[in-house]
Amino acid sequence: MLTRTKDEEKTLKVVGTRPVRPDGEPKVTGLAQYGADFSLPGMLWAKILRSPHAHARIRAIDASRALALPGVKAVITGADFMEQPFEYVGPERVAVNYWHMTRNIMAREKALYEGHAVAAVAAVSPAVAAAALKLIDVDYEVLPHVIDVDAAMAPDAPLLFEDMITRGVEPAPTRPSNVSKQIDFRLGDADAAFAAADEVVEMSFKTAPVHQGYIEPHACLARIGADGQGELWSASQGHFVVRAYTAKLLGMEIGNLLVHPAEIGGGFGGKTVIYVEPVAAMLSRKTGHPVKIMMSREDVFRATGPTSGASMTVRIGVKKDGRIVAARGVFRFQAGAFPGSPVMNACMCAFAPYDIANVHTTGYDVVCNRPKAAAYRAPGSPISAFAVESVLDVLAGKIGMDPLALRLKNAARTGTQTAYGPKHAHDGYAETVEALMKHPAYKLPLGRNQGRGVASGYWFNGGGESAATVHINEDGSVVIATGSMDIGGSRASMAMMAAETLGVPYEKVRSTVADTGSVGYNHVTGGSRVTYATGIAVVEACRKIIDDLRGRAAQIWDVNPSGVVWEDGHARPASAEVGDFAPLSLKAIAAKRAVTGGPIVAEAAVNAGGMAPGFATQFCDVEVDPETGAVKILRFVAAQDVGRAIHPSYVEGQIQGAVAQGIGWALNEEYIYDKNGRLSNAGFLDYRIPVASDLPSFDVVMVAVPNPNHPFGVKGVGEVGIVPPMAAIANAIQQATGTRMTELPMSPPRLLAALDSAEGA
Amino acid sequence: MPPAQPARVVLTTGFSQRHTGGVKEFSVEPGTLRGVIKAMDARFPGLGDILEEETTVAIDGEIHEVVYSQPIRPGCEVFFLPKIESG
Repeated sequence: MLTRTKDEEKTLKVVGTRPVRPDGEPKVTGLAQYGADFSLPGMLWAKILRSPHAHARIRAIDASRALALPGVKAVITGADFMEQPFEYVGPERVAVNYWHMTRNIMAREKALYEGHAVAAVAAVSPAVAAAALKLIDVDYEVLPHVIDVDAAMAPDAPLLFEDMITRGVEPAPTRPSNVSKQIDFRLGDADAAFAAADEVVEMSFKTAPVHQGYIEPHACLARIGADGQGELWSASQGHFVVRAYTAKLLGMEIGNLLVHPAEIGGGFGGKTVIYVEPVAAMLSRKTGHPVKIMMSREDVFRATGPTSGASMTVRIGVKKDGRIVAARGVFRFQAGAFPGSPVMNACMCAFAPYDIANVHTTGYDVVCNRPKAAAYRAPGSPISAFAVESVLDVLAGKIGMDPLALRLKNAARTGTQTAYGPKHAHDGYAETVEALMKHPAYKLPLGRNQGRGVASGYWFNGGGESAATVHINEDGSVVIATGSMDIGGSRASMAMMAAETLGVPYEKVRSTVADTGSVGYNHVTGGSRVTYATGIAVVEACRKIIDDLRGRAAQIWDVNPSGVVWEDGHARPASAEVGDFAPLSLKAIAAKRAVTGGPIVAEAAVNAGGMAPGFATQFCDVEVDPETGAVKILRFVAAQDVGRAIHPSYVEGQIQGAVAQGIGWALNEEYIYDKNGRLSNAGFLDYRIPVASDLPSFDVVMVAVPNPNHPFGVKGVGEVGIVPPMAAIANAIQQATGTRMTELPMSPPRLLAALDSAEGA
Repeated sequence: MPPAQPARVVLTTGFSQRHTGGVKEFSVEPGTLRGVIKAMDARFPGLGDILEEETTVAIDGEIHEVVYSQPIRPGCEVFFLPKIESG
């Protein structure tokens, strides 16, 4: 839905302020209910047996000893789930293959990664369930494994699927491989255009897979009754999607499964998919009892989706004046055990901030023996940006141009042709670059072993399906219900947009996230879509409420509804001709709810389009300890086009959080596997995400280029902030040390080795 | 009254190779997106369902979900591209 209703001249009273979030107190007092906090009478506890092998054929599973243990109520394996057809369903970039999904939930023919679920137990206590796991006998045939993406693409690599033929290649290959899909995007003739460049730089890069690092492990409670109806309590980024996937894997009608949204302790894309929900539901169906599953932190690391590790080669050619004439990128992404890496996004976003006439990107989606990749904040874009923005930094140095000036000279603007198809329809990128060029810290002198690096990033931002319901209570208070999980303060922003539209104080609006039976379909909280799309639904519903209130005021005054206007939270006569009536407040009209027609309620449903992309440009200052290779972030300045911030504190928080995650990705985070493909650092002690003492005080620069397609000018803000940090830090390290880092993470041992190597060269 | 300037439908290279024999651009009558989809389905039977289920559409660069009522102005570019992934 396109809504061109923003009034630039209107003074906003609520939007742009910083009220307290409605979910704040229960969260800080420990009363908020997360996925693990729900219980039911007669509830059983489930535990999942996971493969100790990175790659193994499952010859047999014998659960008889486990079933004989007192207190064990059921054991399930992959055979308990119905078979699913092998077909890719839905859009190419987000296609779902339920044959794969059911095998990721529980292995069948093969275990494809260490931690892959192979069986599950429901028992009267967690201790009994854990003891029972040790009594399940699995006969494995251990197979050679492969994890590194380049190794997985080698002709002699162990195959995860002996019949996988690469999609997207014509003619189709005759031999199977681990390459699930190849994709290409072309604009102009990049190969020919490189000849016109004065400087050409080609470099190769590698990035480590990283986990989303949400604090709350996956947990759920399921109850499936003998009548076939069920309920599920689960923390996710989209309980409607949880419902759809779980129902599909259990062969249920969607309407027979009611999903209650729990509070969520972080997701960042990793909770747009399911892991434990169908297992708990199947065990509940089998036992007739409610069943609860809680993953451990180790389970989360071994079995849930990180983003891809990647291998990339990027080549860019520029004229001496800084104009980019050609760009070529080859991106090879780990998909994990089943196809579906975000490599297409990487190809589409890689050069999107720039106006380049000749671009060619190629992507490879490659399966390997580690958990299936799941979405992670701007999926794919941060990875390709690490390579592209590093090469741009080298080119800026070669032609003696300021790196921000190079980016500004090539900035994409409205009308710029993208390599992936359409022209840009929104500005915002150049404004982020200009904001940093004007920033007082950009020209500050640096000390010894210090460097400054810049980088930019692009993310599409999403729209899509959302629904909202608004109720006016008899005391004039307002309740709004949406089906969008609140990850980043959306209950507050929805209440603020409703209050602004209705003309009532923020404190009069209670904002809730409703279960799947109480509000219309809402797509996941992801893609930076909720404040935009669900916000439009809330505003549309409030406008219906206003029309209703005008009609009720007309009844009270005994005039025509067209003679009533709604201003500043009150019904007023449209003109003196209508009559001399004192304004009626929302509360006054609500008090006459019954006699004016009954409940005051409105719903709105949208499939929102017209969303504007996110652009970010950042610079950071670092200091490198040449003795240890440790990198200290001295300053981080992040400029982002936010459209208009509904709640500026939460927008700043999104940007700060994205940069913090990017710093971890850049400097520390990686999975360490032993020679058998087993993860050695499945915990936050050894998988080191940044803590507060690692981070500087961020300087967030919110650039406001409002999106005219949203009632308040909103653009998605949740993701693009994670795109530039890795390259910005690499570029700063290069300036500090003279050493170019091309592999993530740039951890102390790796940086020290690079410094020692450079010194010895 | 002169006929309205047609709209220009554009497909990605990969999509056109799979579904339209490699032809990437088409002219269609302006009106609504439903009309565009019907016109494409008439040329390539079955393509309408694929466009509805698998694509997002950029109308003169402005990205929308595929919604029948979306207006298609004379002379505009209608670019079908893969749907956006959530993160």
